Amino acid sequence: MRNTSWKSQLTSSLFVLPYLLLFVVFLLIPIVYGAWISLHNWDLLNPVHEFVGLKNYTKIFNTDSYLNELFFEGLKNTFQFVVYSVPLLVVVGLGLALLVGALPGKLKGFFRTVYFIPYSVSVSVVAIIWLWILDTNSGLINQYLQKLNLPLIPWLTDMPWAWISLAIATLWWTIGFNMVIFINALNDVSEELYEAGSLDGANRWQRFIHITLPSIKPTMLFVVITSTIASFNIYGQPYLMTRGGPGTSTKVLLMNIVDEAFKQRQLGNAAAMSLLMALIMIIISILQFRITNRKE
Amino acid sequence: MVKKKKWLGIALTAALALGSLAGCAGSKDTDKSDGGNGEKITYWAPFSGADGPRMKTIVENYNNSQSKYQVDFQIVPQSDYYKTVDLAFSGQKNAPDVLIMHTDQLKNYADKNLLKDLTDTVEKAGVKAEDYAETAWKAGDIGGKHYTIPLDIHPLVMYYNKDLFKAAGLDPEKAPTNREEFVAAAKKLTDSSKNQYGFVIPTLWPNQFIFPTLLFQNGGELMKDGKPNYNSPEAVEALTFYRDLIQKEKVSPENVQQDGEVTLFLQGKNAMHLNGPWMMEQWDKAGINYGVAPVPQLGTKQQAVYANGHNFVVPATVKDTKKLDGITDFLKYVAGNTMEWAKSGQAPASKAIYEQSEEFKKMKQQPIVASEFQYAKFAPVVANWGQLSDPLWAEVNLALLGKKDPQKALDDATKKAEQVLNK
Repeated sequence: MRNTSWKSQLTSSLFVLPYLLLFVVFLLIPIVYGAWISLHNWDLLNPVHEFVGLKNYTKIFNTDSYLNELFFEGLKNTFQFVVYSVPLLVVVGLGLALLVGALPGKLKGFFRTVYFIPYSVSVSVVAIIWLWILDTNSGLINQYLQKLNLPLIPWLTDMPWAWISLAIATLWWTIGFNMVIFINALNDVSEELYEAGSLDGANRWQRFIHITLPSIKPTMLFVVITSTIASFNIYGQPYLMTRGGPGTSTKVLLMNIVDEAFKQRQLGNAAAMSLLMALIMIIISILQFRITNRKE
Repeated sequence: MVKKKKWLGIALTAALALGSLAGCAGSKDTDKSDGGNGEKITYWAPFSGADGPRMKTIVENYNNSQSKYQVDFQIVPQSDYYKTVDLAFSGQKNAPDVLIMHTDQLKNYADKNLLKDLTDTVEKAGVKAEDYAETAWKAGDIGGKHYTIPLDIHPLVMYYNKDLFKAAGLDPEKAPTNREEFVAAAKKLTDSSKNQYGFVIPTLWPNQFIFPTLLFQNGGELMKDGKPNYNSPEAVEALTFYRDLIQKEKVSPENVQQDGEVTLFLQGKNAMHLNGPWMMEQWDKAGINYGVAPVPQLGTKQQAVYANGHNFVVPATVKDTKKLDGITDFLKYVAGNTMEWAKSGQAPASKAIYEQSEEFKKMKQQPIVASEFQYAKFAPVVANWGQLSDPLWAEVNLALLGKKDPQKALDDATKKAEQVLNK
């Protein structure tokens, strides 16, 4: 008995090994190296990297330094995007899952695929498609508005439209993923519960609130956390669609970090900014986890 | 039966794999034999667009023309180019022996002593400054040393739609040359009921070229005594004039988004368009009846145009004389044989081409680009111009979107750039 458990432990460890290896090589080592870089005055073109301790971090919090504005302006913009996009990503994802789930067999498969397709294209394609649709003076939507004698909407050059456009494009691009996760969760909800609910006289809405939602709670938590992390990492959409404009209102934190790293060539500062950003994301995820679990 | 099939499959796969391996080995061999025994010179360039194949042809022709040297041409995508170059210079990757560098980047690398002073090498090889456009050659002089052999200058140019000119009763062979003519033509070409505009004003790229052009034409400077000087009276005048084209003259729609003006030009709804010579192939593909002209003098003082350029530079670490001989030999060949480069729309900085080649002079766009060489001006020679100028483009964007007064926008841009400078 003991022997087999030792063996099975070894086998399972072997199964973990490939992932562990990749994790160490592509995540752990770069993260540790990044932390190491963040403690240095690391100019990409300078062969000497002087050790400066936590100076790069204190600069971020020093209001006299341009890094302060670079970090907190970027963070503010990223936060805005997270706040606008995450509720949409979760609610629309769940809504689509419910809709598609209610369809008859063959149509279900068809629509599941249709909604999932955008997820498989790259961000540059997404940006080009939406640039064409949203163009103020020659885009699809505004052409229709013009025909209906409605005022043109500056989709990408005015606030709050720029955020709305970025959220719409992101929604269209990534909603398929959340939808598929929700569909699987919904399939796992026991039919008997619904039956029992119906017998007790619960209507559709009541069944949704009291049976569906509690049953898919773990999935909900997963979707909320992954959507938040994904939204925090927003980069491609504003970089390609608004170029951070109008002014710098949609210039998100990652754009600023990339600029600092490769335009200004200050890898030390950029690494410090990235680690702070990661820290913030970790704190938010833990909070989300705690809040959801407390209700239980 | 099933088993047999399986074995057959494995055998076939193995055969295919072996075959492809053999194929790889074979092609590698031919690659090497192609080069002969010449001294190998690695050459990097960011030409991942339509210009890549042009440069490749030049290199191939050179390799076939002699057997002493073998140039190994490697294209690094534009978006990753300077990252890759930086890593090479910081010793984490094998550095090339010769590479292309944009004029506005030279100072960053020269300051850190990463580029080779080519003064002696050039003299020894008989490459002369007089063989190149003075503007291009001089840009390689930094701190008393000379770092470059120029390939081209790419200044802002004006494209205009000949069909729209004709329809508006303007001479399609005569583009406007100054502010008055330009504004008058733009007004005539505008018909907002048809959603057609004289000069659609971009609010983002390529204002990095257009705004400095207007400023230089007003006699202003982007930097003064090493400090950002974005809010000079000349700059305010330039931005006010530029913005008034939207708000007062109404020859441009409001709220133009990224590439919105290009889309309208392609649709024949934008009559005049300022952009770089690299746009040519796109217009040709779209089949527009377009004309090319020097940028009109829209400023109040002088004719000038903002430009960037491609230059050959050599890393400071290259010391082997045999290699250096090879590099100069190759670059001398390039100077005399860049007609191929001109075909992508660019004007080579070599006089052998732009002054002496009859074939070049017969081209449509390229001689016009070359005619701007004498008054072309590059970005200020300062380290990290990219980040130092970022606040300017963001504030110009706000002013053109009507969200900020030009004076206030330029004041803010100067303040932010100073902050970046005083890090």
